[in-house]
Amino acid sequence: MNLNILWFILIAVIILGWSVMDGFDYGVGGLLRFISKNDDERRYVMNAIGPVWEGNQVWLILGGGAIFAAFPRVYASVFSGFYLAFMLVVWLIIFRAVSFEFRSRVESKSWRNFWDTDITVTGLGISLLLGVAIANILMGVPLNKDHIDYQSLFSLLNIFGLAGGLLSLSMFLMHGSTYLIMKTEGEIQKRARVFASRFAYAYIIFTILFLLLSLVFAQRLANNSFGIIGDIVPVIMIIGGIGVIVSAKSSSDIKPFAYSVLGIVGAVVSLAVGIFPDIVPSSINPEYSLNIYNSASNHLTLFVMLIATIIGLPLVLIYAFYAYKKFGLKVKMDESSY
Amino acid sequence: MDSLALILARFQFGMTAFFHFLYPPLTIGLGVLLVITEGIYVYSKNQDYLRITRFFAKLFAINFVVGVATGIVLEFQFGTNWSQYASFVGAIFGAPLAIEGLFAFFMESIFIGVMLLGWNRLSAKAHWVSTIFVAFASTLSGVWILVANSWMQSPRGYKIGSNGIPKMTNFWHVVFNPYFPSEFLHVIAGACEYSAFFMAGIASWFLIKNSKDMVMRKALKVAVIAGVIIACLQIVLGDISAREVVKYQPTKLAMMEAQWHSQRYAPETLFALPNNKTESNGPQIGIPGMLSMLAYMNPAAKVMGFNESIKYINHKYGLKLTPAMFPPVWIVFWSFHIMMYLGFYFAAVMIIALFLLLKNKLYDSRKMLKVFWFSTFLPLIALELGWFTTEIGRQPFTVYGLLTTVKSVSPNVSALEVGLSLFMFVMIYITLAAFAIFLFKKELNERLKGKDELAGEVSNMAGAKAKEVLS
Ligand code: HDD
Ligand code: HEM
Ligand code: HEM
Repeated sequence: MNLNILWFILIAVIILGWSVMDGFDYGVGGLLRFISKNDDERRYVMNAIGPVWEGNQVWLILGGGAIFAAFPRVYASVFSGFYLAFMLVVWLIIFRAVSFEFRSRVESKSWRNFWDTDITVTGLGISLLLGVAIANILMGVPLNKDHIDYQSLFSLLNIFGLAGGLLSLSMFLMHGSTYLIMKTEGEIQKRARVFASRFAYAYIIFTILFLLLSLVFAQRLANNSFGIIGDIVPVIMIIGGIGVIVSAKSSSDIKPFAYSVLGIVGAVVSLAVGIFPDIVPSSINPEYSLNIYNSASNHLTLFVMLIATIIGLPLVLIYAFYAYKKFGLKVKMDESSY
Repeated sequence: MDSLALILARFQFGMTAFFHFLYPPLTIGLGVLLVITEGIYVYSKNQDYLRITRFFAKLFAINFVVGVATGIVLEFQFGTNWSQYASFVGAIFGAPLAIEGLFAFFMESIFIGVMLLGWNRLSAKAHWVSTIFVAFASTLSGVWILVANSWMQSPRGYKIGSNGIPKMTNFWHVVFNPYFPSEFLHVIAGACEYSAFFMAGIASWFLIKNSKDMVMRKALKVAVIAGVIIACLQIVLGDISAREVVKYQPTKLAMMEAQWHSQRYAPETLFALPNNKTESNGPQIGIPGMLSMLAYMNPAAKVMGFNESIKYINHKYGLKLTPAMFPPVWIVFWSFHIMMYLGFYFAAVMIIALFLLLKNKLYDSRKMLKVFWFSTFLPLIALELGWFTTEIGRQPFTVYGLLTTVKSVSPNVSALEVGLSLFMFVMIYITLAAFAIFLFKKELNERLKGKDELAGEVSNMAGAKAKEVLS
């Protein structure tokens, strides 16, 4: 295996880390106004992600940095090509980032309502837009021979893009619900169980819809470079979804979350398998596509970054483990909570 | 590519960087001060130091999230607005950015959760350790982002490949490029200097309202002792930075000092009205020979003027730059000079305050307290002007000698798109800054109304002993 392939895998791992960790933050955020009825309940739900969302968000930043360093041309083409769509995501992220800290500092009802709505809208918006962007990349973007793409915000909003958006939206909402089953007790947990299985149904339906549409819009998924094995991977997504439906009804607090993680693993692996060895396919001419070779940095950069990852990633897991352990499995409120 | 898109993209980058840098210095510097105050508490068990820590930690938290929110866009803006730049330097410049995320941001963001929400869950010592992690990680994030920035000022450790794009040849030469040490020390010291003034200013505000506030007296004392050291040091560090400019960026030096013509015994100009059209300074005041002295330790040394420095750069890098491609000299000149004057002002304020502290007159000197309250945010002006000097003075390059700004911009992003995003960013950032100020004020007022930082939680923090002390 060469460094280019290894970096393709590592980026997939980072995207997985981000979808699993930040994914439940977006999901819990998106559910906030629906799952909790009064201020106490809202604070309780928020504090399920309170001490950890900040660290989870770094996966996104790491992803940006890693793509920049390992595949600079991908970083340049995708972010400039999806300019306004990407700016929209950034604005949502900005408003989400401040909301947790700001919300509970003022005791006014309208102030809190404002930030609750903000958390919900930004959670839903980010979840949706990410799927739209990924579906559009799978479909191919109009890269010309200099690997530059000229397109507008509205060209992203096609049927396949929307199907991708609904898929990611239902996936993150399912994931957020299962996370709440794990972190909460009592009334909220009961509601979370109901939400989890409903969103798991939606997730399965949108997965099937997306795969069917891909036969028309993104044949590369079916014609992937791994043959029959590649065709089977999306089944993991459906297994994850079914697992959530079944275990949400059981008394287990942790299993639904574990199945939801499995569903996300299935989604990220399907994506990676479907796109390899390209990273950004060109819809104009396959030869203009950005792949793991023509978009990559030179050997030394990839090597240095690999060493950094080997040292750094275990450290990250250690701190994260420490933080999750200190705050315990179930949310406990105290005066320093949000 | 039309040039309006370029102008807007430059403005957007400068504006978002400007807003971002309003917050990180306090995260870095106040983090260090909190390590000190909490450390005093852990070792002396003096509750007042815990109160200081908890109060300033609230302000720290507000500042921190706005820093995060404004930082994210900077990370991606190299791709959205500067795509040619990103494909050109990604192999080198992307690495420190990714390493920053992996080594610094994770540590910072995970421990900030533990630090802010874990007062009741950790022992006093374990909590202090998480505060140390936060301060350490913020500084480390400064290290890596400044590696990236200083590399753009003095690129090293690369070779131009067959496709005309630089390849990394030595990672450590990239990291320890000649600009890095001075830039790093100067920025971190600036962050600590600002935070000392921030703590001193807020403590003074409380002392103006109530000079018997024992907690804030202690906060002021810590701030003055830390501040006087750092403020004096900063002048030396600034001088070291200037010497790096002399060596590596002669065009910037000429603009900083408004030197139009090469000369021996070059004066250090203190006041001037530089004019690019007439290439002269109008009325000016200067100290003869001082610039030659500062730059080369020799008053007779020759300092390159603006036009000659451009010729020199053209020759060195094989370019055809004309003076019209450079920014107006007055911007760089005044950014640099106001920063420098502020640097001397800060040192003077801190020295006088130390003097009053030693004579036991500090807490009752309303004049001094008012000076501090007035100066709370002044170091922020010096910090931003420092970046203006560095970044505008680097123009017309993005990577000095290698890549010009004109060739860095995204060709596929229209002026309309940048205009729209720029407008949104201005609105969002003004809103965020307003929220942050509102919440700062609210915390100050609540404390003034008598809300005790420790009410209700002392028992958990320091064990039963603390409860006894309070009751
Ligand atoms: C010397 C200090 C310094 C400088 C010059 C910059 N930053 Fe910064 N940045 C920090 C010091 C810092 C910090 C202290 O680490 C912050 C501020 C508040 C915070 O939470 O972390 C931060 C936050 C922060 C974040 C959010 C991190 C998180 O979620 O924890 C990102 C993505 C960036 N920055 C990226 C950038 C980029 C791309 C810059 C250059 C253009 C930049 N910063 C300049
Ligand atoms: C946080 C403090 C910073 C401030 C306040 C700041 C300010 C500015 C300003 C005012 C400009 C516009 C210059 C002009 O167009 O005339 C600029 C440009 C730029 N800066 Fe910075 N900067 C900061 C940090 C950084 C860092 C850390 C980096 C890189 C890691 C960086 C990279 C750039 C780039 C790529 C440009 C290109 C656009 C241009 O040259 O116009 N800046 N910055
Ligand atoms: C007498 C005092 C000072 C001198 C002589 C001085 C000198 C300098 C010089 C020459 C530069 C430009 C370096 C370059 O182009 O890369 C610079 C940049 C800068 N200065 Fe200062 N400075 C002084 C005080 C201050 C103070 C008080 C602060 C903040 C509290 C500050 C913050 C900065 C920052 C943030 C930068 C940009 C980053 C850098 O390039 O280091 N400076 N300073």
